[in-house]
Amino acid sequence: MTEPTALLLLPRLRVQNANAISGPLSWGFPSPTAFTGFVHALERQFTSVLEKGFAGVGIVCHDFEPQISQPAGKRTQVFRLTRNPVGKDGSTQALVEEGRTHMEVSLVIAVRDYLPARKGREFADDAMTVVHGMRIAGGSILPKREGRRFDAQWWPLEEDLEGQRLLLRKFRRRLLPGFALVERPDRLAERLSELRERQPDACALDALLDLTRLNFDPDMPDPEKPGELRWGIRRKPGWLVPIPVGYAALSPLYAAEEVANSRDDSTPFRFVESLYSLGEWVSPHRLTDLNQLLWYSEADSAKGIYRCINRYSQAMETATTGIA
Amino acid sequence: MANSAESPISTALIRQVIKDFLQERLQPKLERVKENEVHERERLLKDHQPARWIANAANRVGQIQQVTHALKYTHPDAKGTSLNAPGNPEADELLVGTHTIDEVTADVVGNAAALDVYKFLKLQVGGKTLLDLAIEGNTALQAAFSNDEEQAKSWMAAFADLSKPKGQPASHKFAKQLYWPMEGNGYHLLAPLFPTSLVHHVVSTIREDRFSEEAKAARKAYREREPYPHGFREYPHLAIQNFGGTKPQNISQLNSERYGENYLLAAVPPLWLSEPVRPPLRTESIFDRLFGRRPRVRDLLRILRDFLARVQDVNNVRIRNTRAELIAHLRDEVLLFAAETQENEPGWTLDEMCRLNVDEQCWLDPERAGQDESFAALCTGVDWRDGICRRFANWLNAQLTSTQTPMGELEAREWQSVMEKEINLMRMELDFYD
Repeated sequence: MTEPTALLLLPRLRVQNANAISGPLSWGFPSPTAFTGFVHALERQFTSVLEKGFAGVGIVCHDFEPQISQPAGKRTQVFRLTRNPVGKDGSTQALVEEGRTHMEVSLVIAVRDYLPARKGREFADDAMTVVHGMRIAGGSILPKREGRRFDAQWWPLEEDLEGQRLLLRKFRRRLLPGFALVERPDRLAERLSELRERQPDACALDALLDLTRLNFDPDMPDPEKPGELRWGIRRKPGWLVPIPVGYAALSPLYAAEEVANSRDDSTPFRFVESLYSLGEWVSPHRLTDLNQLLWYSEADSAKGIYRCINRYSQAMETATTGIA
Repeated sequence: MANSAESPISTALIRQVIKDFLQERLQPKLERVKENEVHERERLLKDHQPARWIANAANRVGQIQQVTHALKYTHPDAKGTSLNAPGNPEADELLVGTHTIDEVTADVVGNAAALDVYKFLKLQVGGKTLLDLAIEGNTALQAAFSNDEEQAKSWMAAFADLSKPKGQPASHKFAKQLYWPMEGNGYHLLAPLFPTSLVHHVVSTIREDRFSEEAKAARKAYREREPYPHGFREYPHLAIQNFGGTKPQNISQLNSERYGENYLLAAVPPLWLSEPVRPPLRTESIFDRLFGRRPRVRDLLRILRDFLARVQDVNNVRIRNTRAELIAHLRDEVLLFAAETQENEPGWTLDEMCRLNVDEQCWLDPERAGQDESFAALCTGVDWRDGICRRFANWLNAQLTSTQTPMGELEAREWQSVMEKEINLMRMELDFYD
C-alpha cells in the first residue's frame, strides 16, 4: 500500500435530500459507507490521471438540517414524507417511509499518486467539476458558491513527520466550523468491560446504547455539598453516536446467475445485514495525525465482513506516545 | 437422546397439548355459529379433528417462513429471499449485529392467514416446541401425528422446513443491492436484509426504558428530587419509522407486535440544533455571557464540575488525563465559537453596536484586516492572542471556583499549573491563525 502524497479538499459541499436513515437502528447523518462509495465512484472517473488512486476519505460536517418534525404532544421525531405519484389505476402507492436531510460537508481525500503542484491544482478543479454532477448518499449536490473558500484545494503532503504535523495544523483550520466523524471502538470496548464488572453477560449492544443515551442516576456527587448525593446525568464528554459501518454476510457468496433478479449477471452476490459501531463527532482541532481523519473500505470475503474503518483511536495512541 | 426414558416428552402428552390447542381455537368459532347452522357446526368440528387439521397445516406451512432477517421492510411489494440466520459469528465482538445478542426472537413472514400454523408449531412440550421436535425428527411427535409412519414423516418434514428460504435465492427490483469494491478489482453485490430480530431486541429495550413502571417511578422521583434505588434512561431525538401503514402484519409478525413502528437512535452531528451565528455585539467580551450560554459549553462545565467534585481528594494519572480531556473539550468549543463567528460578513466589528475589546475584534473578524489597513496594523501591533488566553483562563477559573468549595493554597497552585499548560495549548492553536 502506498502512502498518500497529497490531500484533495472538497470544501463545503451542500447536499440536498441525502438519505437520513442509514441503517435499521439509527437515523441522522449518512453512513461512512456512503462517502467511501462516493469517493470510489469519483476515483473511477480519473483512472487516466491517477494510477494508484485514493487512500481514504475524511468526513467533516458543517451544517445539518434533517427533514423531520416532532408531532404535538410526542417526545419522538417523525420524518417528513413525500407524496408519491398514484398507481396506474389511480390508487395511492404503498408508503415507504424515507428519511431525508440537507447538509453541508467537506470531504478530505487522500491521494496516493504524486502530482506536481500545478497538475495537482488542475486535478482538484477537474474533480470539483465532476463532483457537482454526482450524488452523495442519494442526495444531490447544489451548485458551487462563488468565493475562494469554496474552491477545491490541493495540499501536497510533507515527507517528514514534523512537517506533516505542521501542515495538518494549518489544514484543519480549513475544516472549521465543523465536526469530523471518527470511529471509537476503544471507548466502546472500555464501556463494555466496565459493564461486565457488574453484569457478566453484557454485550456490545448494551455498551453502545449506554454510551449514546442519557443515563439519569440518583447517586451522583453534589458539587455544591461535598459528600452528599443528588440526581444527575452520568455522562462522559464527547459527542458519541451509533453509526453503521458496513455489512456482515448472512449467506454464502453466490455466483451471479444463482440469484434471481440480481442487478447484473456477472457480479457475485451475497445477502448481508448492517453492522454498527460507535462513532464520535470530534472537533478538527483534535486531529494530530492524518490517519485519525480518514475512512477506508475493507472487505474480507472469507469471513464475510464488508466494512469501513477509521483509525482515530489507534492513531491517537501513537500520536500521544510520539509526543511523550 | 430426545427420546430417552426420563424424557417428559411422550406421545400422549403431545396429543393432549395439540388437542387443547385445537379445542381452544374451535370454541370461539362454535360460539359464533347460529343454532340452526348444523352443517357449519359439523364442518368446524371435522376441520378441528387433529389428523385433518395437521394435514391442512402441513399443506399451508409453505406459505410462511420463520426468519431473523426480512426483505419486506425495504419495500412492502418486494418479493424474494428472507433468511433465518444467527448473524455472522466472524464479526468482531465490538461490531453490533444479530450475532451480538444471545436470545434471538424469531419473526414470521408470509401469508398472515397461515399464522395459526406458526402458533401450533410454537406449542411447548417438555421445554421444547413442536417445531424443535419436528426438526430433530422426534419419534414421539411422529407417533402423535399419525400411525401412518410415511404420512407423519412427510408432515414433520414440511414443518421442519419452516425456517428454510423457499425456492431459489432471489432479490427483487424493490430490494436494495449495492456494489462493494473488492481488493484489486471487481465487486461483490451486497443485498442488505432488515434484521427484524435484532431490531425487536432494541425496540423492547427502549420501550422498557421509556414506559415500564420502574422507569416511570424513577422519573417521578427525579422530578421531585427524591432519592431512589435506581436511575432511568432517556433516548434524545429518537425517531419513529413506520412499516406497513395500517396493516403492519403484512410486513411480518414481529412488525405487528411492534405496532409497525421502529425506534431509530439519533446519530446527528453536534451542529444540529445549535443557534445561528450572529455577530457578538453589545458586549465587551464573549466570555462575559455569550460563550458560557452555549448548551454544549454548559453541559461540559457541568460534567467538569461533577468530575472535580467526585475526585476532590484523589489525584492520579487517570484523573489528570480526564481533567485535561474535559478542558480540551472546552477549548474546542472556544475555537468552534470563533470559527462560527468568523463566518459573519467581514467587517462586522465596524457596527456601531460593537463594544468588543480589541483583542477579540482581531480574533473574531480577521478578514476585516484585508480591507482596513489601520485595523490590520492594530492586530499586528497588539498581542491579542495573550489577551484571549487570559480571558479564557479567567472565565474558566470563575466557572469552576464555587463559594462552597474554596480552593486551598496547594490546590490553587496545582490548578494554576494545569491552566497554564492548557492555555499554552490554546496559544499554540491561535498561533496558526493566518
